[in-house]
Amino acid sequence: MITTRRIRVPSRRATEFIDLTPALQEAVSASGLDDGRLFVQSLHTTFGLAVNENEPLLLGDLASALERMAPMELVYQHDDLSRRQNVAPDEPSNGHSHVRHLLLQPSLTVLVEGGKLVLGRWQSVFAVELDGPRSRELAVQLDGAFLSPPVSSDRQLLEMELARQLLVDAESVATPMRRLVDAGGKRMRPLLAMLCSRLGPLHDPLRAATLAAAIELIHDATLVHDDYVDDSATRRGRPTVAAAEGPERAIAVGDYYFAKGTRLIAELGNRRVSSTVANAMEMICISQIEDVEVRGRYPGDYAGYLRVVRGKTAALIEAACVGSAQLAGAPEAVTQRLARYGDLLGIAFQMADDLLDYSQHSGKPAGQDIRQRVLSLPLIYATEEGSSAPALRELLDSTLGDGEVLEVQRLVKQSGALGRVEEEARQLVHAAMREIEEAGFDPVRADLVALAHSAVDRVS
Amino acid sequence: MRDQLEAPPPDLERLESLWEAGLKSVFAQYQVAAEPVLALAAALVEVGCGMQRLGEGLATPGDLLLGDLCLARASRLLADLGDQPRQVAFAGVVESVSTSAAASTPLPSVRALLLAAIGSGR
Repeated sequence: MITTRRIRVPSRRATEFIDLTPALQEAVSASGLDDGRLFVQSLHTTFGLAVNENEPLLLGDLASALERMAPMELVYQHDDLSRRQNVAPDEPSNGHSHVRHLLLQPSLTVLVEGGKLVLGRWQSVFAVELDGPRSRELAVQLDGAFLSPPVSSDRQLLEMELARQLLVDAESVATPMRRLVDAGGKRMRPLLAMLCSRLGPLHDPLRAATLAAAIELIHDATLVHDDYVDDSATRRGRPTVAAAEGPERAIAVGDYYFAKGTRLIAELGNRRVSSTVANAMEMICISQIEDVEVRGRYPGDYAGYLRVVRGKTAALIEAACVGSAQLAGAPEAVTQRLARYGDLLGIAFQMADDLLDYSQHSGKPAGQDIRQRVLSLPLIYATEEGSSAPALRELLDSTLGDGEVLEVQRLVKQSGALGRVEEEARQLVHAAMREIEEAGFDPVRADLVALAHSAVDRVS
Repeated sequence: MRDQLEAPPPDLERLESLWEAGLKSVFAQYQVAAEPVLALAAALVEVGCGMQRLGEGLATPGDLLLGDLCLARASRLLADLGDQPRQVAFAGVVESVSTSAAASTPLPSVRALLLAAIGSGR
């Protein structure tokens, strides 16, 4: 599917760098584009596009460079209006602007993942005015997979609630968390919460958004602590809070949002919801401890893997589904179905995440799980049996440098374990979908099914 | 009362090692001011914040995870108790302490905040 729109951009100076990033992100959010591409094209010949860092002194340097390359004082044939035909009465002398435009792009493509523009930490998209001030226009096309209208509106409400919650917090904790939240992520847990809240007679979008935002903040708090424990340098393509701010601050930031999430949920005044999410938080903590303990017996076994994954990943996904339905007053039969759906989906999601460690194109640093000796099903299967197993076990007993990690990846791929894990993840997703389809769940069935698919489709 | 202090409460799965390592005496301090479940929740928050060394230095990864479990267990005990005002007040204690730690400003007394939080439900 493709949607189009126009963006009007007024400029105020002769040469001006205008940061388009917020307007383009707004276009993506409003369209509901989840994964795909944004094309932006200037409709002018003295108004170009560029990707660069939004740092005022640098922008001054870039403007100076443009002026040096095509100075205004030089003679340009284009400015000799007596030699041109069809000249408009208000035609400016702007030969230098056209020449400068050669140095810029007339159009740009920006990838979109999880509803967010894919930009590096320092990248901003600029429109560059070369002959202002004027009123300019950009054509935008959005192409890819769009969220359904309910999910799209839920997502917008969720993002507003997340932004609102971060706005009221002290900068010492809000700034690092905002970087993590703004970096994107699939928002699977909060979107499930928003959707499942529609399954009860007391559905209230604002209360659902509060619960969903609280669940996302709790999830992000666990990531902040995990990244310190795992000594990870990047998360969602950006430096982790521990790497950017130091581990002491990361611990405080994680604690703050852990506590804030529980407070927001308590303030909703539903005891069952509080207990559901609190139980999940406890399961996450216990499984994190087990996950670290298992690293001494790496790569572990299937039973241990399932136990850890149920706590580490599935518990909060399940709680998002169940807690939001409880908040909306859904009957027990519905919450039981959702519990099974969330559990199956969570395990499948983690299995798919394990597979990304063997892909160069996932956005997640390949080989990171192996390097950090994180529990991973492909490794468990590959070391269980087959011709690669003895060599793999020997490698895993040694220190894992870059060369060893590459060799582990090669042996796991050769063992066929990746296909086995993918197939198992898909079977779990089908089982999760059956829970939904058998129950009806008419208003949200298609979206819950689509979300289930998306849990494993990212490995294809 | 003495017997209650000798045996770890039943809600300490995976935190048993902390009981003799200091949790018991902290629990005793709160038991003077609150019923056992509330006292245990308060003790877990105080010990959890202490293990994470908020505002005092860097916790080891192992202590961080145990501290997380202390805080999560306290949260679950309060949720199961259905005592919403204290759930909110206890969470506020952790928010207050962690905000100060993140800003590198002097930390308030965790115990004083928790005693005030216990009093908030009355």
